[in-house]
Amino acid sequence: MKKRCVITGLGIICPVGNDLEESWNSIISGKTGLAKVTTFSTEGCYADLGGEVFCDNLPAPEYDRSARLCIKAAEEALHDADLNSEERSQAGVIVGSCIGGAVSIDEYMTAQKEGAENDSRIPNMAASSIANHTAAYLNLNGVTANIVNACAAGTMSIAYACDLIRSGEGDIFLAGGTDPFSSLAFAGFHALHALSEECCSPFNHSHGITLGEGSGILVVEEYEHAVARGAKIYAEVAGYGVNSDAYHITAPDPSGQGQMDVIRRALGSAEIEPSDISYVNAHGTGTPKNDEAEFLSLHTIFDGTDVSISSTKSMTGHCLGAAGAVEAVFTVKAVSENVLPPTIGYTEEDRLALPEKAGNLDFVVNESRNKEIAYAMSNSFAFGGTNASIIFSKDKHETEDGKKDKVYITGYGKIMSDAEQAVDQVAGVTLDMKDFTERGVKLGIFRKLDKFGQLQLVSGIDAFNSAGIQVTEENERRIGTIIGTSAGPVTEVSNFQKNIVDKGCTAGSAFTFPNTVYNAAGGHFSIFTGTKGYCATVANGTQAGLQSVAYACDVLGKGNEDIMLASGTDEGSDMVSYFYSHSKINGCRILGEGSSTVVLETGSSADKRQAHKYAEVAGYALTHSSGTNAYTETDAMEAAVVKALANAGMEAGQIDRIYAVTNNHEQGKNEIGVLEKHFPGKTIVDPREQTGDCRAASANAIIVDAAKAIDASEIGTALTVSYGCGSYTAIVLK
Amino acid sequence: MNKEEVAAKIKDMLVESLRIPEELLSNDAELFGGEIGLDSVDSLEIISGIDDMFGVNMTGVDKENFRDINSLTNYVMEHAEA
Repeated sequence: MKKRCVITGLGIICPVGNDLEESWNSIISGKTGLAKVTTFSTEGCYADLGGEVFCDNLPAPEYDRSARLCIKAAEEALHDADLNSEERSQAGVIVGSCIGGAVSIDEYMTAQKEGAENDSRIPNMAASSIANHTAAYLNLNGVTANIVNACAAGTMSIAYACDLIRSGEGDIFLAGGTDPFSSLAFAGFHALHALSEECCSPFNHSHGITLGEGSGILVVEEYEHAVARGAKIYAEVAGYGVNSDAYHITAPDPSGQGQMDVIRRALGSAEIEPSDISYVNAHGTGTPKNDEAEFLSLHTIFDGTDVSISSTKSMTGHCLGAAGAVEAVFTVKAVSENVLPPTIGYTEEDRLALPEKAGNLDFVVNESRNKEIAYAMSNSFAFGGTNASIIFSKDKHETEDGKKDKVYITGYGKIMSDAEQAVDQVAGVTLDMKDFTERGVKLGIFRKLDKFGQLQLVSGIDAFNSAGIQVTEENERRIGTIIGTSAGPVTEVSNFQKNIVDKGCTAGSAFTFPNTVYNAAGGHFSIFTGTKGYCATVANGTQAGLQSVAYACDVLGKGNEDIMLASGTDEGSDMVSYFYSHSKINGCRILGEGSSTVVLETGSSADKRQAHKYAEVAGYALTHSSGTNAYTETDAMEAAVVKALANAGMEAGQIDRIYAVTNNHEQGKNEIGVLEKHFPGKTIVDPREQTGDCRAASANAIIVDAAKAIDASEIGTALTVSYGCGSYTAIVLK
Repeated sequence: MNKEEVAAKIKDMLVESLRIPEELLSNDAELFGGEIGLDSVDSLEIISGIDDMFGVNMTGVDKENFRDINSLTNYVMEHAEA
């Protein structure tokens, strides 16, 4: 039997309430949280509505609004779960976000325009900081990650927390999503003409979205652990699915194929049928393209069942990276209280017109209703083509554990800067049209890419070629991608934001906006290659490039995919080096850029296609320290190394060589100290001497380098380890 | 502004805002088909750029006018206020 994951605490802050009770009461009484935008000027814009949070006591003013909303919801969820301090300190934090520190970037640039300095905002600019700041504020030392797959991120975070519980990386996670109301998102959707002039009413008026903000946090806990401490259990996570449309960077596939596939993945993972689902909290954004595709998907899957459907975005607005989490909170409440939340905004005329679109499907109109709910589903479909679907059950839900297969590295691609070519301490990678055309990438695709996307596409294609993989209709759904990054598409985000700060919200660029989401690089890669399996982007400091490998192994362990690409990618630019030098994140190293990708493959798949096996992933571990004296970063580093060895079933003495991308500051010496203590006399390799600090790309490159050394029989085994944002990932190869 | 100047400004905008290599942008190069292959999101950027530069609103305008730099230039010349 699979380990069971249950929900034992809920916390929320969103446009319809600053806590769970207020939000839920608003939702079931059909109250809107949408009104005229006050956060910034919407002068000249054709739309001016939004769902904003008004809260006088948001904690931690030193952090970005995304982290502050998250901490507020997390505090409520922790309190609701009634954890003691020991249990709390072991909790992990998995947070979804679409736009990360956009508000901090806005604040920084606005101050700069006015001639003021605001350097305190710099450490808050990357989405990598959200989970780390939340963990630090609440003193939580479990595994952290920021899942940055745009509007699917909140749903995916809950799913990833369950994966981590099942792979033994923790028993309790705060999982969900957060996003602030930002000029970036508003100007971007305005430029795409995707904002509705009226309050959005998904599946009804379909004239566009209304943006929202907020955070939803669920305490996801291993069932036995919850029972042992006598926890209140709201619901169980029965199943989930994640995939990629591989169709368009902003629009859903109109055929609904990706949406239907992800719903079927979730049903399959829960081992239930469509007729078992009583309620669907739909993605339901209100854009014509979404609503049309989603109607088609819902009809195809659910026609003939007695499912009820609604979009709570009609009340909260579209909370982007928080949307899936906020909606998961409502879906869990629906299951535990047997109440169907409505979609609001229907006039009498609209009601009469509904059957034409809805057919026999029961859309919950304007008013909530009571209904016995055994299983409820929440769906999220994002920019970049990422889809996620999750199912909650009221009662005990057991599913079979798949057979664990070995995981091998069967290919790699790496494009890194050269430290010797550095000018003013910055080294870059130059890519021109030829680099793309010789890889079969047409102009129509590569001109859409920012540097982050370009680097990712090149290393990913090279990895596919190195592994000899052809994507076909037979295997396209069984190949996925996990990308790790520290700073994401920071140049595109900064340029986009600067334009708005200078010229206002009408100056958003429709061309650039899609690239400001962190998962755009993964989306472009999936569209180009046609891979339709699991896809995620993780922002979690430098070590995200190694965490992506562990994440990909967890995905392979679930059996839906045979092949996963795991990447680390970070771009450099004037903007990046400016931020790095100002915040002194980089110590005295040369700042580099690059992308590194490994192909991870199950043993059975590799054997079937007679793939070359460079090395086997023997074991891995993830840890985090919130930075307290009781459990320092050095302790977390040591724990990652010791656990990875134990998971590999190996002793320290069996490791031949160490590959480490350690902290650039004083802490790095402590980390090297841990390695010298456990592996006396062993060589410690750091590739950044040659490439510059390519951050997540460097963290991934050590896996490539170690696998190549094992393949060349230079060594038999290797330990790779990397740091970032208080987190550590250690992976043993043999 | 004469026709050549308008065409040159449109070309600069296409290079700058849509990252189209300059060498591909002859005035009669097809923008939405063929090698350049623009899409609906790109057309929003062109509409926004033309509005900014010339005060000409091309929202909802027939797609024939977006065929190449020449057709965009002709539309701007016909609709720009003197």
